[in-house]
Amino acid sequence: MDTNEVRLQECFSKVFPEIGPEAIRNSSIDTIPAWDSVASVTLLMLVQEEFGVVPDMDRFEEFTSFRGLLDYIRETSPNA
Amino acid sequence: MTRNNMLTNRPREHLKLSEALSLARAPEGAPPASRSVWLVCGFTPLHLVTYLQAHGRRRFGEPVHVLTGVFGDLPGNLERAAAEPANATAVVLEWPDLDPRLGLRHAAGWTTAVSTDIEAEVRKQLDRLRSLLDHVAQRSPVALCGPTLPLPPIGHTGLAQDSPFELRLRAAVQSFLADAAEIRGVRLLSAEHLAAESLAAQRLDVRMTLATGFPYTLAHGDVLAALLIELLFPCSPKKALITDLDDTLWHGILGEIGVQRIAWDLENHAQHHGLYQQFLAALASRGVLLGIASKNEPDLVREALARRDLLVTASSLFPIEVNWGPKSASVARILKAWNIGPADVVFVDDSPMETAEVSAAFPEMTCLTFPRRDPDKLIDLLCQLRGLFGRQEILEEDRLRTASLRASEHFEVERKSTSEEDFLAQLGAVITVEFAKKPSDPRPLELVNKTNQFNLNGRRFTEGEWMAHLANPDSFVAVVSYEDKFGPLGRIAVITGLNGADAPRVVSWVMSCRAFSRRIEHHTLDRVFAALGASRLDFDYRPTERNWPLREFFSRFFEPLPSEGALCLTKAAFEERFPQLPHAIKEIFDGHERSSTPGVLLEGVP
Repeated sequence: MDTNEVRLQECFSKVFPEIGPEAIRNSSIDTIPAWDSVASVTLLMLVQEEFGVVPDMDRFEEFTSFRGLLDYIRETSPNA
Repeated sequence: MTRNNMLTNRPREHLKLSEALSLARAPEGAPPASRSVWLVCGFTPLHLVTYLQAHGRRRFGEPVHVLTGVFGDLPGNLERAAAEPANATAVVLEWPDLDPRLGLRHAAGWTTAVSTDIEAEVRKQLDRLRSLLDHVAQRSPVALCGPTLPLPPIGHTGLAQDSPFELRLRAAVQSFLADAAEIRGVRLLSAEHLAAESLAAQRLDVRMTLATGFPYTLAHGDVLAALLIELLFPCSPKKALITDLDDTLWHGILGEIGVQRIAWDLENHAQHHGLYQQFLAALASRGVLLGIASKNEPDLVREALARRDLLVTASSLFPIEVNWGPKSASVARILKAWNIGPADVVFVDDSPMETAEVSAAFPEMTCLTFPRRDPDKLIDLLCQLRGLFGRQEILEEDRLRTASLRASEHFEVERKSTSEEDFLAQLGAVITVEFAKKPSDPRPLELVNKTNQFNLNGRRFTEGEWMAHLANPDSFVAVVSYEDKFGPLGRIAVITGLNGADAPRVVSWVMSCRAFSRRIEHHTLDRVFAALGASRLDFDYRPTERNWPLREFFSRFFEPLPSEGALCLTKAAFEERFPQLPHAIKEIFDGHERSSTPGVLLEGVP
């Protein structure tokens, strides 16, 4: 697990404190009932704050899972 | 990013969203939040809720429960807040709330042709909001924030020029805000203070506005939430200021250059000392106590303070401690004369060494250095003092305070020269007990929240809790005023509680320390027993670090005094130990006065 994954996991923990680390790494919008639109926006703001990346809303489908977001961060973040 | 916090004069660190989320979350197993805030806005409240919760946690040590309404319906949300009031209400108004065409999420036209219609709609909406605010403010304190975001580029002029249309819109809003500020319970967020902490150009997040309806950058949401919490739950204002003289109240060392050469004016390059004096005079006029602690020759100081061009009147300076001993010893004597704690006092001196010495002796005191060599920093100091002493209203009691403290010196001299009974008999004292529940009167809550010594239990109320308490049909409130030959003390005691099935229960009872040694507390209980027709009173008693005067009073009726909990005092037990009291009593029930002459009233007292 690289540092980006750990940092992203921290972001997820802030939004979904009741979900364990393992479940977070395998999570998607379908596996976490609390992952609603407010959670999505909060998550994206945390990603922006943590990695300095402004999520491109045209690629929103990629932001509906932990893995998708991690790949996006690795591809675009200057701080990744 | 950091911005200067004018109250503490320290940069306010931006709270990151991740930190705010951690703060906003209640610890596992924590009880539900005891304080609630209605956030009334027309946009998606999103992160502003998180920041309000986080700053509430910082203020109280526990998160604040935030209620929100419906998107795009600020007036409806105000109605909801009035129907189900919280402890406090934050109203955040932005341009789209006045007409959606002034927002970015509507595209209904910005042509010149619609401007008249927009203007009319804005005025109509402001009228509606004015009456709704009135309604909400009767149920809870309201913090109101005018538009913090810019108008869209709707004017026909170039960027550097305001259009008449934009100016009329802003004027309409300013007029509305000025009206709203007159509503009791409504406090306006200062646009100037907000601008010092959140730059106008860095507030709007267009992407978020379009994607989610939340219009603010995180930094702006953070600052706005912090200021709203400050407005809704203000810290108690400081009560007194102790100032140094040389190179602080005036320019120059009195002992070296003499009375005529000390200065505080432009011609002598000492205007910043004059501004400081002028500021102190304003504080004194609002009831702030001013004392002097100076290492100097007493005779010289007496002469200097008699100069007629002094901008702060010498009569407003009391006590004046002038000697060559440590400043902390002078400060201790001043605190004793005032009978207030160090946490309520600000100390100002040009010498960092002196402020450090006083600060070490009184860690709870706010000690500030006067910038004698740097007039640029004077405004920072004055703004900081304004923040520390700022209060909602100036009451009659504030104006009486300094005079009554001076009179207390003579009071004590006379008291010690004769027996207590004889002394009380010749005071010509009149005690007025008013039974009334007035949500518009700030004095009872002020007394409850700032009195430490004669205090039943140390309980504090937020304004919202107090308003809810008064609205309870079972509650009672008695406010006590006092006057004698030494002058009026004003309203100096409050007792309040709830009528219960068995007996009335007193939940708070406080009396100002200025009113000690007059047996006012005996009359207060006597009148409460009589007015409520009670044969017993229960008290929510709790000892605190500082409520020894209350404990001393109770120890006459309870032996031994329990460590904590409900105390029951029967009327019979109270009357058995009721001393001879030579006061005249007036009672006021809901505005109607009636004189009361208990059996203990002596002849000849008015």
